[in-house]
Amino acid sequence: MTSTLDKLRAILWRDLLTAIRYRSGFVLSLVGILIELAAFYFLSRAIGPGFRPDGVEYFPFLLVGTGIYTFFVMSAQAFLNAVQEAQQTGTLEVLMTTPTPAVELLTLSAISAFAGNVFNLFVYFIAGITIFRAAVHPNFLSCFLVLIFCVAIALALGLVAAMLQVALQKGSSLLWLIGSALWLLSGTTFPIQTLPRPLEMLGRAIPFSYAIDGMRMALLDGLSIRAMAPTLAALAAFSVVLVPLALAGLSFSLRQARQNGTLSFY
Amino acid sequence: MDRIVFESVRKVFRHRPALFNWVGRERGGETVALKDVTFSAASGEVLALLGPNGSGKTTALKLISTILLPDGGSVRVGGADTRSDETAVRRQVGIAVASERSFFPRLSARENLNFFATLDEVARGERAGRISDVLGDTGLEEHAETLVMKFSSGMYQRLGIARALVKRPSILLLDEPTRSLDAATAARFWTTIRRLASQGTTVLVATHNFAEGAAVADRVLLLHRGELLADRHMRDGESADGLRAFYFGLTGETDEAQSTIHRAEAAR
Repeated sequence: MTSTLDKLRAILWRDLLTAIRYRSGFVLSLVGILIELAAFYFLSRAIGPGFRPDGVEYFPFLLVGTGIYTFFVMSAQAFLNAVQEAQQTGTLEVLMTTPTPAVELLTLSAISAFAGNVFNLFVYFIAGITIFRAAVHPNFLSCFLVLIFCVAIALALGLVAAMLQVALQKGSSLLWLIGSALWLLSGTTFPIQTLPRPLEMLGRAIPFSYAIDGMRMALLDGLSIRAMAPTLAALAAFSVVLVPLALAGLSFSLRQARQNGTLSFY
Repeated sequence: MDRIVFESVRKVFRHRPALFNWVGRERGGETVALKDVTFSAASGEVLALLGPNGSGKTTALKLISTILLPDGGSVRVGGADTRSDETAVRRQVGIAVASERSFFPRLSARENLNFFATLDEVARGERAGRISDVLGDTGLEEHAETLVMKFSSGMYQRLGIARALVKRPSILLLDEPTRSLDAATAARFWTTIRRLASQGTTVLVATHNFAEGAAVADRVLLLHRGELLADRHMRDGESADGLRAFYFGLTGETDEAQSTIHRAEAAR
């Protein structure tokens, strides 16, 4: 019998081979990261040192906000792409005839996508710290814990994106909408206290704000796990609730698609 | 014991026009793809689902493979219901779909087969041997290490068949399997199919090719607009023309191809 680990190995190997054979894509994404960081660096210089959101310099504030935001959006995009490509090439239907449940398959695929996105996040932070001299005081254990919760929340977001693609065949438009809302509400580029009260309340109700805040506390302020316990508890609660809900939603939408004959529609 | 049992199966596709469709011409409604179809297939039988485009052949195969779920009736495979026990069904069924490009283009043929074999839960120690076997059966040994994005239509088709065979299914579903194959490869393929059937594999072939149906099938199910018109055991030596005449006799349609041939002969 084939184990889940064996399937994960097969998926990682498939993605590694595909990535290697798209030789230029890897290099281009690294160049893109540097250009984006340069833009944020000069934006923060243009605004000047007087603007210190949450008491930190603006460039490190932006570095963490945009890094985590990009991680969420790219992770959701990875799920969406996996489903869209499988629909367009016809592999989705074939994969649905294997004994491996589709949700297990997508989740295993996500681990592969997350490995790439976590790598990009590290490159983003390291380039920001070493090339653009962002001031950080990391508590590595806190950073690691926040990252684990970020992965869980990104997994839930990705599963929702996949569900929307299967159900509505227009996941990319919805992801654009979700991405824009996150950009506005989660404190990516400015503190959410700046928002009007109703939007601020909304911002405080979504997990992404806690993830970005948590990483700022851990990476920029060096807070210990104990000091940031409320934020970590909130992230844990979001993870425990959202991942099973998203899994159930995707299972339901796949079953509906098999009932309606729309599995391969895109 | 019957391996596949189709009992009063009904499948309807509903069309829901897009929102804001005032400028488009898409209309709502529904297409009844299968109307209360009942049949069964035993171990080692080769069944041809024969009918024109839109008759419900592919829908029947997709229902057996659990890609689709029935709206009415039931589909059971090896005693397992496709609605409630899909994993048990999927372990028994291999399907070669008509879609040519259902592979990962930047992986070689062998890498693609290895990937799907893993998800099909073929034991690790057996994978390499089985993959070599099916590459041989489908004449793709020489192209095993070629990236599949460089494949021709016929090669894609053969790789699809190889993928269906690699899990050694007890039920093999083939959708227009020889559509892009040359005559020699098709002949070799049918020999492989007959060998598998003699070993107990149940084979369902969806085709609109009367010659194919007559050549390979033990039984032919004639489908027309979602209805099962006939479930016919093939007699020894029954020709494609005999089958063709039987089909057009049942449907009452004009056999345009035959009429054209007769007109051409009369004109000569």
